[in-house]
Amino acid sequence: MSAPEERDQFVAFESVAFDYENGSTVFTDLDLTITAGEYVALLGGNGSGKSTIAKLIDALLQPQEGRVLVFGRDTRDGTATFYIRSNTGLVFQNPDDQLVASIIENEVAFGPENLGIDAHELRVRVEEALDAVGMRGFEHQETNALSGGQKQRVAIAGALAMRPAMMVFDEATAMLDPRGRRSLMRLIDELHHSGITVIMITHYMDEAARAQRVVVLEGSDAGAQVALDGTPDAVLARAEELRALDLAVPFTCDLALCLRDAGIPVGPTVHEEELLQRLVALRDPHARELPQGPPASEPEGTSQQGAALIRFENVSYSYGEPATKKARRRHKTPESADLPEKAWGIEPGSSFALHDVELAIDHHEMVGLAGHTGSGKSTLLQHMNGLLHPRSGRVLLDGHDLADRTVARDARRHVGLVFQYPEHQLFAATVYDDVAFGPRNLGLAPEEVDAAVRRALDQVNLDPDRFAARSPFELSGGQQRKAALAGVLAMDPQLLVLDEPAAGLDPRTRQEFLALVKELHASGLTVVMASHSMEDLARLCDRVVVLDKGRIVLAGAPQTVFEDPERLRRIGLAQPAPLAMAQRLRAQGFVLPSRLYTVDSLAAALAPQLAADAAAVPAKD
Amino acid sequence: MKLTLTAALFALVLCAFTPFALAVDATFIIIAYGVARITPKEVAATLWPLLVLVIMTALLNMVFVQGGTVYFQLGILVVSEEGLLAAAFLGCRLLLLLLVAALLTLTTSTFAITEALEAVMRPLTMVHVPVHELAMMMGIALRFLPQFVAELAIIRRAQLSRAAELSFNPFKGGLSTLAALIVPLFTSAFRHSETLAFAMDARCYHGGEGRTRLHPFAFTWRDGVALAVIGSMTVCLVLADMW
Repeated sequence: MSAPEERDQFVAFESVAFDYENGSTVFTDLDLTITAGEYVALLGGNGSGKSTIAKLIDALLQPQEGRVLVFGRDTRDGTATFYIRSNTGLVFQNPDDQLVASIIENEVAFGPENLGIDAHELRVRVEEALDAVGMRGFEHQETNALSGGQKQRVAIAGALAMRPAMMVFDEATAMLDPRGRRSLMRLIDELHHSGITVIMITHYMDEAARAQRVVVLEGSDAGAQVALDGTPDAVLARAEELRALDLAVPFTCDLALCLRDAGIPVGPTVHEEELLQRLVALRDPHARELPQGPPASEPEGTSQQGAALIRFENVSYSYGEPATKKARRRHKTPESADLPEKAWGIEPGSSFALHDVELAIDHHEMVGLAGHTGSGKSTLLQHMNGLLHPRSGRVLLDGHDLADRTVARDARRHVGLVFQYPEHQLFAATVYDDVAFGPRNLGLAPEEVDAAVRRALDQVNLDPDRFAARSPFELSGGQQRKAALAGVLAMDPQLLVLDEPAAGLDPRTRQEFLALVKELHASGLTVVMASHSMEDLARLCDRVVVLDKGRIVLAGAPQTVFEDPERLRRIGLAQPAPLAMAQRLRAQGFVLPSRLYTVDSLAAALAPQLAADAAAVPAKD
Repeated sequence: MKLTLTAALFALVLCAFTPFALAVDATFIIIAYGVARITPKEVAATLWPLLVLVIMTALLNMVFVQGGTVYFQLGILVVSEEGLLAAAFLGCRLLLLLLVAALLTLTTSTFAITEALEAVMRPLTMVHVPVHELAMMMGIALRFLPQFVAELAIIRRAQLSRAAELSFNPFKGGLSTLAALIVPLFTSAFRHSETLAFAMDARCYHGGEGRTRLHPFAFTWRDGVALAVIGSMTVCLVLADMW
């Protein structure tokens, strides 16, 4: 087996037709070529077949018609299978289900072991691969003890140990927190620099913008097609078309488009710096001084004593047995616990300590909870319905201490807690039964249960007549999440607590789901929402609370909390993009009142200060 | 190698018929723990849940073995001298067996145990037992076990949040509650297994044929020492039993 030549055509789809056994057609006639050394981003909404492409490339699936050539070999040729697979590294989305072994070095060696590489060479390759992903020193760690980002790195190392000429990432960052995602994207860039051809499949435009070439797939019933193909700037600038394909447009393009709608001819770009330059060039020196916009109404930062729906008084929490202790028990060497972990975020779902948390949430408020993974967000949320009890301090629900068992039982009803990926907890044969689980547990009469289920399904915009009798497992991802939310709403809570409600959804479903949460809040529910997206928090919440290492470090209206970029950066967070841009524009001499911005409001404030007449301004591009 | 020696140790403990022989065994095992530098605390933590089993067995023996002076009688329960001795003896023997097993699990990674099992069972391939596949399955099971434990904990909390009574009382809707825990766990397992199968294929997995090992089995001087020690222990034991 010789390694694939440079300058070759690495991937060639020739009039490929493919459909799944269940009858869904993915492609009817797809053509696509990828050359050695390229860095290609494959973008597409749900149903555009982008994940199928990854499997077709790696000979995991074969086309029904046409052919897929990888390194010049046909994927249907059984003798070429191992040649193709060993030269192609494939990394999947979920960090939890692609690792085979319990120990990292065995995991990394798995691929080359299958190739029959001898033991000495195996050792060299394992070290080399772990070096490349920055995880030397972790050889004897258990794969289980790693964070999501670290697991993805190990998966990449496992692929690298086979010395591939090409790497395919199938939404490899989708389930990571912002920190894990950033660091993984940097690693992918490095791999490309080292000469590996990179194919990156993603929902995210900001990731696609790093590639040299962007291919956008458009799904349709007649089979997905390549809709756009070109450099990131050329493709991503065609934001209108992208928006029509359910893809989230990068902030900079979005702003440029909003300005264009307002009559300002500014070319969209994916680079923030460039947009800033273009805007400065377009600045109208004769713009009249703007009247200051109405001062943004600032919600009260703190609430009145006693009136709060839920109140944390000096709450501290520490986990009984640290997770590391359990892990250590199985370890040969106790020093493994001291290794530099936590550099790439921590496993979601585990419990973290809280220290002296003081927090009051009023009736009908919508409060956002920010902080990177491991800051204690989930722990805080689980105190709200008495799943966890503080080691010291009190949690009061409507003035009653949750330490009291009867109060805690009531809390299960009045506080609806929606976990991350709540659709993973669906279990019943029909949507109806699943949603009815809560009300039935509360011991409601059958007709009350029925009313509650219908109301809850209505609330999440799932038509009870259409969905109630269906199996929850037949629904799409977005619908499943709505059904799971209905299961909590059916208990008629006063307070809705959401942990990362939009995690893992594609851009359009994400916007839909957040709009739904906003509606629920408008209908009178009090909402607490933890999120990694500062933009979402700034846009939706009356008040934002920032946690860092189990302490509340910032709290107040979004514009005050997000005001200081330096302070946010120190705790691993960033400003919402429109606000950051507004601050930079102000530094360039634009007159922008200090308030919280969305893309629309920023464009509206900016437009009058820009020269609509492009001819009057030397064109920048 | 370690696996074979552990098996030998197991057999030795089972072969100890007198208290003295047992004491000899115990000495060796404690020395082994010393060599492996495992603290009593770690051992206690591992064995704690299993102690119930030891005590139960001891109690049963106490009641069933009769003879000698009767110390205590309650209905049909008769506690006699021999019963007590048997209980103490068997209890100690079981404890030692557990200690041997713990010695293996505390010093060896699960993956290594799986590999060792595969090596020991290798001859069985001659009679068409899919040894490699069995070992692979065991390895994957061990890899996913802690993950499922964590997932189950999250599912449990989520269903508790929906006012589930986790009493498992079959007369009080306990069964549906059980389904609320088990079904999500199984769907998760199916979801994982589908991707895992693709991930293994993608890395050229094609069964045990032609696979190499990161850790090939090699007989080192340490194994020699261990073999010698166990050999001497066997001799001591035979002597002790004859005594």
